[in-house]
Amino acid sequence: MAIDLIFFVRTLVFPGFLFLLVLVLFFDWFERKVAARFQNRMGPSYAGPFGILQPIADYIKLFSKEDITPKQTNKFLFVVAPILAFSLFVFALFYIPIDGSNVILDSSFEGDLLLVLLLVTLANFGIFLSGWASLNPYSGIGATRILTQFLGYDIPLILLAIGPAFLAKSLSIVSIASSQVTVPFILLIPWSCVLFILVLQAELEKDPFDIPHAETEIVGGYETEYSGRKLAFIKLSEDFQFLIGASLVTVLFLGGFHGPVFIGPAEFWYVFWFIVKTLGVVFILEYVGNVSARLRIDQVVHGNWKLLIPLSILSLALTILVEPLLRSVIG
Amino acid sequence: MLKWARTKSPWLLHFNTGACNGCDIEVVALLTPRYDVERFGIKLEPSPRHADVLVVTGPVTKQCAPRLKMIYEQMPSPKFVIAVGACACSGGIFQDCYNISGRLDEIIPVDVYIPGCPPKPEAIVQGVAKLLGKLKG
Repeated sequence: MAIDLIFFVRTLVFPGFLFLLVLVLFFDWFERKVAARFQNRMGPSYAGPFGILQPIADYIKLFSKEDITPKQTNKFLFVVAPILAFSLFVFALFYIPIDGSNVILDSSFEGDLLLVLLLVTLANFGIFLSGWASLNPYSGIGATRILTQFLGYDIPLILLAIGPAFLAKSLSIVSIASSQVTVPFILLIPWSCVLFILVLQAELEKDPFDIPHAETEIVGGYETEYSGRKLAFIKLSEDFQFLIGASLVTVLFLGGFHGPVFIGPAEFWYVFWFIVKTLGVVFILEYVGNVSARLRIDQVVHGNWKLLIPLSILSLALTILVEPLLRSVIG
Repeated sequence: MLKWARTKSPWLLHFNTGACNGCDIEVVALLTPRYDVERFGIKLEPSPRHADVLVVTGPVTKQCAPRLKMIYEQMPSPKFVIAVGACACSGGIFQDCYNISGRLDEIIPVDVYIPGCPPKPEAIVQGVAKLLGKLKG
């Protein structure tokens, strides 16, 4: 029974669902505040101290609104797709070690990096289906744009994630993180990290690549027809995807949860370092998003196939070439 | 708690029913650093399905009236309407024109009127604040 209790507490409260939800809402607030400061605005200020409760207010309001299912949509897909995307993102996040191990204890295995990338890909399919099921011209365009963009960036993303895995000689996220105890990989293979952040920007649909929901062109993109609870699920899954992206950078290049441990339990410091590093990554992602303008869909496809894929293959080759020189510093 | 969430996060949809663009500029000015209504959690949303508050500017032309009704019906309830500018409140200088179908409140129910030609952004912020006060009850 005792083991079961630990399992339930870990999946539902800490560091499982509830903790991740609070973390995601906090990141949402941080993101909005940073974006506002970049534009010389205040950002959310009046919902709680410094507006920190703003995302909570938004979601409570969305969950309490009327839930419309338009007549012409494919009812089943329209309802299921946002929940599917949301649950896949949450499941993927369960494999990211936040307090030193996975959310489900001892569930880390050789190859869970690939599993996380696969789950993110599948969840993107869920988002695509949500737009496709709406049968609205704007959602349709948004959905096809997701697929077009995603065909381009998924390959370089995986190629670039292989670099740190090669240095660590492991495909398991926990052992990649723990082989960076002495030196984080960002110092050893900075070229991979820079490219990874750039490709991640496309994966997360942030500004140079936010064509799937370009407000000024296609209304809301794939989420145009959604309202109330289903919109809340779509927005939550976007936020969860953002957290997954930022924590992948943290785990692959910044050493994950490892950092100096001071007084108190080691888990507390693991969580602390993980959140601090991920906030740094979020800041960089927001910075790139705020200083760049939106590309056209054809520019994105060209950029991905003609520039990013060769570059990521080159960066992988360079990583393999310099690996013997770096072997001595990898923990 | 529900009331708190609703007053802290009203999302606007801006619809122009034939305005001269004067009021529209003032509405958009709300989002600029000088007024920054995101402080109050107010966001401008692209789709009527996401919005809580419909901000209508301009006299309602005959061509626009059915579209305005359609957009109002597409919004999920609870929903509110703000009439911005003299034209939306009463028809303004266009009220007896051949192509005007009437005041805004003859077409859809209106919660807050903000007169002015165009109203200052401060006036629009005050109007939204009045709507939020109404929500609190």
